[in-house]
Amino acid sequence: MLETTENRNVEIMLDNVGMTYDAADGKKVQALTSVTMDIHKGEFISLLGPSGCGKTTLLRIIADLLQPTSGKVLIGGETPREARLKRRYGMVFQSATLYDWRTVIKNIELPLEITHESKSERRERAIKMLDLVGLSEFANHYPRQLSGGMQQRVGIARALVLQPEILLMDEPFSALDEFTREKLHIDLLKIWRKTNKTIIFVTHNISESVFLSDKVCVLSPHPGRLSAVIDIDLPRPRSMEIRDTPEFTALVSKVRNSFEGV
Amino acid sequence: MSAKMNSKRRSAVQSVLLPVAFGGVLITAWQTGLLHKLLNTDEYVLPYPTRILTIISENTDKIMENVWASLEVALLGLLFGSVIGYLIAVFAASFRKLGSGGLTIVSSFNAIPIVALAPVIINWTKDVSPQADVRSMVAKIVIVTIVCMASMSVNAYRGLTELPAFSQDLMKTYGAGKLTEFRKLRLPNSIPYIFTALRVSVPVSIISALVSEYFAEYVIGVGRQIRENILIAQYSTAWAYILVACVIGIAMYAILIAAEAIVLKKRR
Repeated sequence: MLETTENRNVEIMLDNVGMTYDAADGKKVQALTSVTMDIHKGEFISLLGPSGCGKTTLLRIIADLLQPTSGKVLIGGETPREARLKRRYGMVFQSATLYDWRTVIKNIELPLEITHESKSERRERAIKMLDLVGLSEFANHYPRQLSGGMQQRVGIARALVLQPEILLMDEPFSALDEFTREKLHIDLLKIWRKTNKTIIFVTHNISESVFLSDKVCVLSPHPGRLSAVIDIDLPRPRSMEIRDTPEFTALVSKVRNSFEGV
Repeated sequence: MSAKMNSKRRSAVQSVLLPVAFGGVLITAWQTGLLHKLLNTDEYVLPYPTRILTIISENTDKIMENVWASLEVALLGLLFGSVIGYLIAVFAASFRKLGSGGLTIVSSFNAIPIVALAPVIINWTKDVSPQADVRSMVAKIVIVTIVCMASMSVNAYRGLTELPAFSQDLMKTYGAGKLTEFRKLRLPNSIPYIFTALRVSVPVSIISALVSEYFAEYVIGVGRQIRENILIAQYSTAWAYILVACVIGIAMYAILIAAEAIVLKKRR
């Protein structure tokens, strides 16, 4: 009984997902071995690990940008391919990936052009998203005129403009300086609270993952595997100051100690 | 701020003032006969600038007739070559395995000297029209087309395939098909590369137009006039055409740079 109610809330289901590459020397490389987990609707999950642990591989499998060599992924009961074609997720990449020949607002309108929305509908929704990320005055700027942090916020607006249920983020803030990153953490949590998205956030930054997430999924390398799932029961809404509390520090060391074989 | 202004001013001095000053010194030396002494030549083979300008003003109609003939060849060849080159690039980018081999062949056309290419093309096109002026025009345009095609296809191919990191993934996350990906990503991404190609092919289109005129059956064009006048030892008239050829080349390149600055302004 309890299980069925819980299942209804499962947004993404990973069942024994594995990924094996053929390396150049003919050997098989295990990028990921049997990852099993459920991600619930509205949850903020981090995939945390050092390079080579397969965290980005896992995210790309969920996004249908990579096909797993074993196991099964279901997104709202559908295959990743179906979910991708129905645009059920939005993705934010390591670099903002804005098209430099388009203005900020035109970049946000791009997905709506692909789904053939009318011009007025596109403009209206793009303006709403710009407002959400606090960049309304920069609508007609070109990407090169924006700072790295602003570019990444445009990337988030673009990922949300099709109103997907899920937001996939692949180390989105790793190229930013510490000050900008901390500011964007607060902004991202605000956006999350306003929009109720399910967020999967890939990072190699322990404190970032603890600060943002409901759950930190720790991945360890050689072979890439899920070695721990740690609940972050810090109260919300979280502010910058929470990083200075003993609870936060305790969770950071708990996460750090759960790595294997690094 | 002021340091930036200063360095800007300094670079303006270096890029504009110095070449202008050099040109001024050269023309003065030329007009005063100093240049002739240095080059050990006389004012018959190398006429004074004033003499060249007089020839141009006295023969404006005839010179313009030849200018238009050369421009027509250069511009039409540039247009056809660029369009065909771009289409080859699109084909090569769509069928990568077949395409990259085909592209190597096309780019090898670039290595063929126009002097070798021209007689072959003139021979091929000798039956296209009973009129000598028409078939010569066709031959010359074909030569320029072939020469311009190579640089466009190679550069456009890079623009269509060397995409910014994750930009293709982004298209995939929207479930975009190949055609949408081409229109929204590959085509706009290739535009700066088109200008890179044109920076090469605009000057080349003029040079190859002038050289192809040497070999054409019908006598017309700035390049052909340079040759004809040298053959009959009319050096002043030959120099008048050389000067006109320089002006055409510089003008077309300047137009290209201006167009590039306007089109790509937003990206920089």
